[in-house]
Amino acid sequence: MNLDLSELTQLAPIFRELFKGFHVSRRDPELYAQLSNFQDAYRALFRALGFELVCDTRGFYYFVPEQAAAQVNKTAQRLSLFTFILVEHLADQGRDPIAVLDGGSLGRDELPGLLEKYRDLFGQAEVQTPEELEEKIMRRMTQLGFAHEENGVYRFLSPMHRFLDVCLSVQQDRDLAASLHSALPLPTPVLVDDTLEGGFDDAEQEALAAAIADEQEELQA
Amino acid sequence: MIEPKRVLRALAEHWALLEPLCERFDQGTLSLAELRVQLAAQQRDSTPQDITALLDVWIRLDILVPVAKSPNRFELNAQIHDFLAYLRREHRLGLCLEIEAYLRHLERLAGHIQDAFDIRDGNDLARQLRLLDMRVRDVLKKLANDEQALVAVAERAKTSDRQIPLRQRYAEVLATWDEYVEPMIQLVNADGAFEQGVRKVENVLLRLLGEQQRLGQLIDDDMLLRTHARILEMQTSAQLTLRHARELLLPLREEARRHNAVTRGAALALAAMRRKGLDAVPQAALPLFTRPQSNFLGTASQVEAYVYALARFESRPARFPRSEKGKDRPDTPRAPRTVREMLDRCEQALPLPDLMQWLLNQEPEGETDELLYWFSRLSRDKRFARQRLERRDYLTHEHSVSLRSFALYSPADVPAGAITVSLADES
Repeated sequence: MNLDLSELTQLAPIFRELFKGFHVSRRDPELYAQLSNFQDAYRALFRALGFELVCDTRGFYYFVPEQAAAQVNKTAQRLSLFTFILVEHLADQGRDPIAVLDGGSLGRDELPGLLEKYRDLFGQAEVQTPEELEEKIMRRMTQLGFAHEENGVYRFLSPMHRFLDVCLSVQQDRDLAASLHSALPLPTPVLVDDTLEGGFDDAEQEALAAAIADEQEELQA
Repeated sequence: MIEPKRVLRALAEHWALLEPLCERFDQGTLSLAELRVQLAAQQRDSTPQDITALLDVWIRLDILVPVAKSPNRFELNAQIHDFLAYLRREHRLGLCLEIEAYLRHLERLAGHIQDAFDIRDGNDLARQLRLLDMRVRDVLKKLANDEQALVAVAERAKTSDRQIPLRQRYAEVLATWDEYVEPMIQLVNADGAFEQGVRKVENVLLRLLGEQQRLGQLIDDDMLLRTHARILEMQTSAQLTLRHARELLLPLREEARRHNAVTRGAALALAAMRRKGLDAVPQAALPLFTRPQSNFLGTASQVEAYVYALARFESRPARFPRSEKGKDRPDTPRAPRTVREMLDRCEQALPLPDLMQWLLNQEPEGETDELLYWFSRLSRDKRFARQRLERRDYLTHEHSVSLRSFALYSPADVPAGAITVSLADES
């Protein structure tokens, strides 16, 4: 494939944004128009450089990190948690979650109430105060191109579909559903007992026993 | 007998008043008082007598009819209501069962046509053909009406307030799908009642045409051909209506289903997180993205400061332990190095009320891992009997350790409840 770099007029800003983890959507008309007009050229160029450009038909572009290098970070967990909470909160209020998360908006003044209602869950994500919610979640969302903030109103952009997809995949996860609906106790992680009886695994037990036996022999000798 | 012209004239003359009333009557019946209020609101300069006269005219012309067993409540005459709905392009979705009933009737008529031809009754044949033609027109009219009604259903769902609950917004779409589209799909299927009925009628008509050529004309061929063409038109029309219905409603139905799936997924994920923490949601499902600002360099002054610090970097001198360190502090007891020594010391100190505390007293400056090693080693030695103590915290030189310590005794004076440890028991 022959690339005409003179056509890719927005290459530098596009690469800079995508490399930062930003999702380019119609909110950035110039970058978006460039990407959609020369989608194949950009994909080929980025692939040659080792970056996988994902062109989502729902209207956004992003780099997906290599599977080997990628590990789910705290941000991904926090943003997913926030999406789940928002979907449930809106559904509870009788509002349409998809309409809000796909191009709709949420007032900043709604955040403290949300935090109060889901304090236990936010606590797990180390979000305790409205400031932390703004800093650790909402600011991240705007930095990554999932939302846009203007005059105290957050408008959610099309890349939010990535999180809505998580909801769908969770819904299809039969194991997860089964583990929640089963009357059987949940599988608990195996923890090492910190008391002495049985506190060591077999290999350690044997090694210690052998060491003690050696010492006994040494003492008796 | 009410003269049709008078009814039509009244409808034309009072259209401005009747049209808004139609919407009210679509919702249900109206009492006389409600009717008067409605009309008074539309005709501000009219007197109560004018309104009474107007209502009187409508009742006399059968435009308004009293509701059965409620003489003070009125509704639009059903025929007039349908006519007005047609004029206002307001279509109410019919039932799939109605179409099916029409088709059964068409099949029966085809049987009558065949019978009339068999007994060579030209008049009856012509009458049955006309009836068949009218019924087919009824079906066509119904299909056209249903198609308009379906468009209205989809439009209502799309344009209704986005803030109202989705379940409510799409309730009509889902109900329409279940009650109309799904049965219609069954009906219009290749082996459904619609196709079978049409084929049956078509066969009769075609056979009739052939027989007429063989046996001589009983009726005009054109009539048969027209009816046949109309049957085919009805078939095409039903398929088109169904396709249109699917195109209109399927995306909305999918949207509603997707909404339900998203809401359920979110609720499931939250429930799992409440029980098992943030990691409960499978990591494979989470979106991956590069950390924001991973290539963030900072402002020029920050870079300058960083480079400055690099240029003047000096490594801290490494300090090695001095060999004469022990001599500096002659008071400190030398740390026991061998197991034998430690065991002896421990044995001499028996009974020990708390092994861990004893170790801490012996080695106040000892490393935590070393202390824990001795704790583990001494508590397991078979020359001691031990008794488990309550959990408590112990402060070592650099850590706080929470464990259940042991009291150690010599096996000779074991108190009740203490056990003698042997290697055989442990393994």
